[in-house]
Amino acid sequence: MTAIRIDGVARAFGAVAAVRGVTLDIRDGEFFTLLGPSGCGKTTLLRMVAGFCDLDSGTIHFGERRIDTVPPHKRNAGMVFQNYAIFPNLTVNGNVAYGLKARGIVPDQIDDRAAKALKLVHLDGYGARWPHQLSGGQLQRVALARCLVIEPEVILLDEPLSNLDAKLRVEMRGEIRQLQKRLGITALYVTHDQEEAMAISDRIAVMNAGSVEQIGQPVDIYQRPATPFVARFMGTTNLLSGSVIRHEGDRAVVRAGGHDFLVGAPGIAEAEPGKAIGFSLRPEALTITAPGAKPPPGWASLEARVVRIEFLGALTRIELALDSGLVLHAAAVDMPRALAEGPVALSYDPARVTAFPGPCD
Amino acid sequence: MRLIPARSGFPLAVAAVALAFLGLFLVYPLYNVFQASFFDPSGKALTLANYVKILGTPFYRAGLINSLTVGSLATLMTIAIGVPMAFCVARLPVPAKPALLALAALPLVLPSFVGAYAWVLLLGRAGLVTQGLREIGLDGISIYGKQGLVLVYTLQTFPYVLLPTLAAFKAVDVSIEEAGQNLGATRWRVFRTVILPVVLPSVLSGGLLVFMETLENFGVPFVLAEDMPILSIQAYKLFVGEMGANPASAGVLGVLLICCTTAALLLQRYYLSKRRFATGARSVPPELVVAPWLRRLGACFAWGVVLLALVPFAAVVAISFLKFRGPVMHLEPSIGNFVLLWQRGERPLVNTLMLATGAAAGATLLGVPIGYVLTRYRSRLADLLDVVAMAPFAVAGTVLGIGLVISFNSGFLILTGGWLILVLAYMIRKLPFNVRASAAILHQIDPSLEEASINLGVSPARTFFQLTVPLMAGGVIGGTILTWVTITSELSATVVLYSGQWSTMTVEMFRALEGTGAGTAAATATVLILATILPLALIYRVLKRHEVALL
Ligand SMILES: Nc1ncnc2c1ncn2[C@@H]1O[C@H](COP(=O)(O)OP(=O)(O)OP(=O)(O)O)[C@@H](O)[C@H]1O
Ligand SMILES: [Mg+2]
Repeated sequence: MTAIRIDGVARAFGAVAAVRGVTLDIRDGEFFTLLGPSGCGKTTLLRMVAGFCDLDSGTIHFGERRIDTVPPHKRNAGMVFQNYAIFPNLTVNGNVAYGLKARGIVPDQIDDRAAKALKLVHLDGYGARWPHQLSGGQLQRVALARCLVIEPEVILLDEPLSNLDAKLRVEMRGEIRQLQKRLGITALYVTHDQEEAMAISDRIAVMNAGSVEQIGQPVDIYQRPATPFVARFMGTTNLLSGSVIRHEGDRAVVRAGGHDFLVGAPGIAEAEPGKAIGFSLRPEALTITAPGAKPPPGWASLEARVVRIEFLGALTRIELALDSGLVLHAAAVDMPRALAEGPVALSYDPARVTAFPGPCD
Repeated sequence: MRLIPARSGFPLAVAAVALAFLGLFLVYPLYNVFQASFFDPSGKALTLANYVKILGTPFYRAGLINSLTVGSLATLMTIAIGVPMAFCVARLPVPAKPALLALAALPLVLPSFVGAYAWVLLLGRAGLVTQGLREIGLDGISIYGKQGLVLVYTLQTFPYVLLPTLAAFKAVDVSIEEAGQNLGATRWRVFRTVILPVVLPSVLSGGLLVFMETLENFGVPFVLAEDMPILSIQAYKLFVGEMGANPASAGVLGVLLICCTTAALLLQRYYLSKRRFATGARSVPPELVVAPWLRRLGACFAWGVVLLALVPFAAVVAISFLKFRGPVMHLEPSIGNFVLLWQRGERPLVNTLMLATGAAAGATLLGVPIGYVLTRYRSRLADLLDVVAMAPFAVAGTVLGIGLVISFNSGFLILTGGWLILVLAYMIRKLPFNVRASAAILHQIDPSLEEASINLGVSPARTFFQLTVPLMAGGVIGGTILTWVTITSELSATVVLYSGQWSTMTVEMFRALEGTGAGTAAATATVLILATILPLALIYRVLKRHEVALL
């Protein structure tokens, strides 16, 4: 039962600052994910927690115990590696029992616990097999069992699913999440796949160039991104920059790309007229109707022209051009009937627009 | 980068032990060689007098010039042979390629002075071929002197160039070639502008090995140089000199040798540091379709070089079963030579086997942990260890021997006259190979395996012994046996360090050559060749599987 506290942690490799002053409070039993583009320092941060990478500054605690000064083999933090790191010279049983042996557990108990761990990951009966006789997904389960059997205080997972095919990835992430909740163990998970992060996590920290941009629940991060970077990283969005012209109640009219947008983000009322701001409008917040149709009360509307339709199965992406040539992206569930290239009306709820101080690049 | 490796005492412990060992048995002896050459006899005042004296003597100047000339010529020759041969093997349908490659590496491990002696038996004054030629009226072909040295060195060391160049040719992805042609270049142009520059670093590292090997080699010039002065021989003669030992002058020659090899090494490092090409072929380039005559020419060339390099060894084995009366051989089968060899005592053979076993084990025990720390725990301390552990590579065996004698024939630790000093010299000399072989094996083992073990609660030291060593085992055994094989034919340090009862097979052969025992020499040579070939044949599969390279 362990919370992880990462406090002001930094690490540079030569001139590259891989992690710069990251502070995170991961709660006991939480599934916490580090999400960010390649090279943003996720692995480095995770390896600091595991003890495989030294800190230039900062501290890390498991509960009350400070662990950044403890050698890695005494941290009791189970890690699942991206490439599984299954010992090729040991059987499945040998792999799972490895950590128990290191802890001096008596032999009959080792067998017992190893069998239980394999059962947990649905691999009962595979104990005598050699690693090269297993599939990628099964190896992944062995890695999980091997890490869980030592009853670690926390588990650390570095892109554990990236070597699996798309379907197995979805299946395994469900299993990992279920297992973690059942055991009530704190998990720190690393991925660059935003969909995976949202599906699996209690909370997410979005990282960029070594710093944390935003911490929050998946819904918040997606719907209320704190920075343009987060907005752009968490799926497609329309990111626009403009200046405040006037206020309409607690909403502001912002002129961007030659058009007036109604922005209802919290705090926008304080923005002085003339102030340059950026805002994000998610494609699925845009509703497409026949030209001239009346939008719901309180909504804003624009005239646009459909220029491209991309049918993706469950989702259809639609590219629209405004009079000024400004391009917006919209998305609709399913393929809306009678959707064709040509003039349409575009409407949205101003409350679904997220604003950022200053223009976004 | 950090000064010392972090997170664990294990790498620190390894580095401390290794540095202490190398400090005592490599750095300290070399320091003494420098000291002997730079100080006046009282040992107090710095002086260049020794250098002035040696370099002012035409005989020693000639030695330096001869050594460098022979070394350079041999290097050029091995490149001239090795590169086209590598291309033939990589890109032409040469018959029986696996056999060719297995045989092509052999000259590197076969004792070089045995090879030189074999050439003497064929082309020397009383050689079989010489006599045959004389009968048909051809005279004046001589294996002695510069041309003989260059020939023998070339045939002995061409694999240093061939093997890495071959690997480089194979690592050029075929798509690079196709891309070049796609951009409108002719085949020849692509070869010249893309492929050759990519393989050049490998060619040069191979060439450097040839140069260093020829510079420090003792046995080949001992057999072939006759009156021609050669640096390594002069150093030896000055040191054990009949007219009283002269460590100062021997030290000067030793320092000159070290300077030459180190300069070559630094030059190559400097060149390579600016040219590193990431290759890594996904698809090995296919064999070229060429005219039949060209194909046959390529095959003849490749097989011809390999056979020419190996035939003398086969000849020496055959000759050892002929009857000798004094230096004259008779075409009559006999095992008399071996009987004679046996009568002189089995001690040298036993010594060779025991010393080689001890030293190979020692070099492995020291080399594997060093290789591990170098690959897995990068730090300034590890860099220092890297430099020191690779240093023996640039130190001629004769010079190391001289340093060890100067350092340990009196004072706090007396080792001269015993077996330990031989084992230590062998360990030091073979350490670079062992470290590099271990590092190469480790590069094939994913470091996250060790991290997983540590993460599961096993300390770094125990992880190394419990997980890494078993994973490395096959490769390490292969490397140890290769070390063993090369130690059995070590001559240059042995000849300085051996004493009375600790004579080895190579020393016996050396003595037989000095005397008149041509028959015994041939028998000894046969034993040495067998000691090389048999273990290698036994472990050939292991070596292949773990890709333990000879270099
Ligand atoms: N051992 C190292 N030496 C030097 N630089 C390093 C080292 N490890 C990481 N870096 C650098 O630190 C930065 C962060 O690397 P890190 O591996 O943490 O990224 P990541 O977020 O895990 O990326 P990915 O999604 O590609 O795995 C990168 O710029 C990387 O080049
Ligand atoms: Mg990573």
